[in-house]
Amino acid sequence: MGHHHHEPKEKPSLKVNRRHFFSQLSIGIGSLALGSLLIPDLFKGPSNEAKALGLGVRHFAPKAKRIIYLFQAGAPSQLETFDHKPTLRKRMGEDLPESIRNGQRLTGMTANQDKFPLMPPKIGFQQHGQSGTWISDFFPYTAKIADEITVIRSMHTEAINHDPAITFFQTGSQISGRPCMGSWLSYGLGSENKNLPSFVVLTSRGKGNSQGLYAKLWSSGFLDSKHQGVLLRSGKDPVLYLNDPEGLSRSDKRHLLDHVSSLNKLHHVETGDDEIESRIAQYEMAYRMQMSVPDVMDISKEPEHIIKLYGEDCQVPGTYAANALQARRLAENGVRFIQLYHQGWDQHGNLHEEMSGQAKDVDQASAALVLDLKQRGMLEDTLVIWGGEFGRGNYCQGKFNPDNYGRDHHPRAFSIWMAGGGIKPGLNYGQTDEFGYNVVENPVHINDFHATLLHTMGLDHEQLIYKYQGRRFRLTDVAGHVVKDILA
Amino acid sequence: MANTFKSKWADYVIFGLSIFLIFCLLFESYIELPPLVAWIGRWHPLILHFPIVLLIIVIFLDPSRSRISQLLLTIAVLSALLTAISGFFLGKETGSQGDLLFWHKWLGATLAILAAIWYGLLAMGRRPKFLIRGMQILMGGLIVFTGHYGGMVTHGEDFLALPSARKSQEIPENPLIYTHIVQPILENNCVQCHNPNKQKGGLLMTDLSALLKGGESGNTIIPGQPEQSEMIRRLHLPSGDEEHMPPEGERPLEADEIRILERWIALGAPDTMRLEHLEPSEPLSQLIRDLMIPDPLKKWETLPAVADSTLINLSSDYLSLIRMAGTTNALKVNAYKPPEYHAQMLLDLMPIRENIVELDLSGLPIGQDELSFAANCPNLEWLEIDQTPISDEEIDTLRILQKIRLLKVFETGIGDKSVGLFREWKTLKNLYIWDTEISPSVLEEFKTENPGILINTGIDSEIRSYFVDSDSIPTE
Repeated sequence: MGHHHHEPKEKPSLKVNRRHFFSQLSIGIGSLALGSLLIPDLFKGPSNEAKALGLGVRHFAPKAKRIIYLFQAGAPSQLETFDHKPTLRKRMGEDLPESIRNGQRLTGMTANQDKFPLMPPKIGFQQHGQSGTWISDFFPYTAKIADEITVIRSMHTEAINHDPAITFFQTGSQISGRPCMGSWLSYGLGSENKNLPSFVVLTSRGKGNSQGLYAKLWSSGFLDSKHQGVLLRSGKDPVLYLNDPEGLSRSDKRHLLDHVSSLNKLHHVETGDDEIESRIAQYEMAYRMQMSVPDVMDISKEPEHIIKLYGEDCQVPGTYAANALQARRLAENGVRFIQLYHQGWDQHGNLHEEMSGQAKDVDQASAALVLDLKQRGMLEDTLVIWGGEFGRGNYCQGKFNPDNYGRDHHPRAFSIWMAGGGIKPGLNYGQTDEFGYNVVENPVHINDFHATLLHTMGLDHEQLIYKYQGRRFRLTDVAGHVVKDILA
Repeated sequence: MANTFKSKWADYVIFGLSIFLIFCLLFESYIELPPLVAWIGRWHPLILHFPIVLLIIVIFLDPSRSRISQLLLTIAVLSALLTAISGFFLGKETGSQGDLLFWHKWLGATLAILAAIWYGLLAMGRRPKFLIRGMQILMGGLIVFTGHYGGMVTHGEDFLALPSARKSQEIPENPLIYTHIVQPILENNCVQCHNPNKQKGGLLMTDLSALLKGGESGNTIIPGQPEQSEMIRRLHLPSGDEEHMPPEGERPLEADEIRILERWIALGAPDTMRLEHLEPSEPLSQLIRDLMIPDPLKKWETLPAVADSTLINLSSDYLSLIRMAGTTNALKVNAYKPPEYHAQMLLDLMPIRENIVELDLSGLPIGQDELSFAANCPNLEWLEIDQTPISDEEIDTLRILQKIRLLKVFETGIGDKSVGLFREWKTLKNLYIWDTEISPSVLEEFKTENPGILINTGIDSEIRSYFVDSDSIPTE
């Protein structure tokens, strides 16, 4: 990460700088009277931040204590997962009516098509559970937990390409540089287990067409870098550079850290830079993680019925199933935000074949995770989310061919599901039109999604604020409403 | 200073106004006010402050004993009369007069006329001191009561009530939607101005028939048509709008409160419908249930205070102490397994045992010591002792706990005896209890006996076999 310039916090060691001086001055008698007339909020200024700043302080009693976000990177099609649209079959091959497309901006991949022939899914749909939730036949295991999940079919975004769209989902802004959801939670709530990061990322990759994932997706942006997500890798070195070189004993390491720390503290007194304190804390955390991470990552003690529940794939490090099981273990150990990424959902062509494979990768393990959390009483306070960064178009990309078709990106409507953590089970929320193109009922914007997530964690999205470079930032920027209808 | 102000004119004006006031009171029902005169009434809330202050000053200076400025005396009495007359005009504008206004009017009028007589007695120079003094005491009392009744007319009857006296009714188990949900919302937000004493806009909101009758703007609610109902329209106006209700300066209704009113009207504004009559899919059902959940922060208000520094001192790398929310003194304690575990880590928390409401000891090699500690936490609601080696004998220590709501004991060594303990806990709502020594028949019996407890005995066997037995990884 580049050099951070932080707003200095109130610290006795800090030398008075220009901004400090003027902010003090503003409380002078003269400016007091005039200022309060000109700026009615002048004296209310810091109250919101003061409320938000206490570490580990929730604004109200939370339903969820942690979040596991099963991110399906590349954007799975809503029309082949949860949004059943028989009209597409009836009107197969017909051109998408302009009244429905209504000027929607398209990517360069289909913008030059002169026809947009409607394409129905090749996969069948069934209703499942008492909730009668429509789920495609790609997801037989998810179908078994239909009554545990809430499917939201009315998600929408503005971004039409992967990178801005995922960035939007992670940070609340399409432009990179803002802190991620996990970092905001870590900042707002602090860490629960001091031996593990409060924000962990696990990635896996399917055989489908995939797009890159970058470390900025778990960056803490302008928040203290201790809130950054830690990528746990598969294999014997889950955290890069965590293990000691051969020949260095644990006590040698301790001595080393103590001395480095005292040097760092000297430097901190000199400069007052908070990043130095962060660094000291990170060295200490890394030291403890040398013990705690291998312990959490070791699934050898998991009984066979659990292994089989997630699918035997979960014994293969680096698979989605292995990561899902890992996610449960991390959640048990007090990690607040566990972000899984499964790549390969970008089906511009060969959609049916590729989605079949992608679904097999994630279906059983995702459902198993929900069942496993439930039997451990953890679904009470763990919010599980499954979904991608946008939806896919209802028309065929390229030449019309019902046997081998693809779909371009579509921001106006897509489906995700959530389970546990204070979300109503077995609910179907929001609707799209008969073409699956536009939201017609209960739209949920990404800002609303973020507001709702923070709400389940006991945080008011309007109060979780960080002031940086002279302005106040929120995960939801200046928008977002809590979707109360889906809260239990 | 000599008393230089002595004007016959002032005496005549005071005499004239007194007669006018008495005339007004006697012939009230025959009087029709021209608009300009009615407008004078609007000045009542402004000028009423003068007699309150001036009369109190002259009463305390006591003209029967000391010489006070005649000018002050004259202005005080004049202002009392003007206030009473303008008040009379204002009162005429209000359609119907309730108890509060009745008392305010007559007390105020009495005060003004009494002041005029008292002024006359002083002017005539006849000064039986006991009479003057008596009148002064009476006037003092009248000022207090007139002011108080006037205040109640303007600000609502319980404006001076202590904050704790604010109505927050307990909602009964299966509430009547109108009586227990809708009316209290109106009571807390609207009735202050729409009651028999004030009746702003000619609207009463004290009961259902009054609501259905509406006010000057026509209908207030149209059963079945929330969008057409004046009340809902006004609630949704931007807060700066002149017609927005409640008016500027008052607390607007919460979004959920508005939605409750809307759904109730949509359902036809029923008066005998109860919560259980609602379809589960009806949004009103959930809205009411939300209201019925007591705020957890409230129940923790009585816990002993615990300082942040205490939390920092007691927590360690393997022990986290977190406030449940905000600044509450209720704590959640999580213990993680250190390289060398010892029960002392937990026993150190004895000083704050009353603050612990959630305790997570999952996966730790705990025994008697730890459970004795847990038993010492009287406010414990949530206890996780799953994946531990505990047995019947140890868990029995917990018997004295009175508030346990959630218990995780899966993957432990507890047996049939423990079920007896669970039977005693009347507060228990969630129990996670698979992979123990408890025999299936005992567990099944306990389950049927207690339909109110969510007893999780592991993944449903049918679903489990679908996941576990089938070859989950198909070969391509």
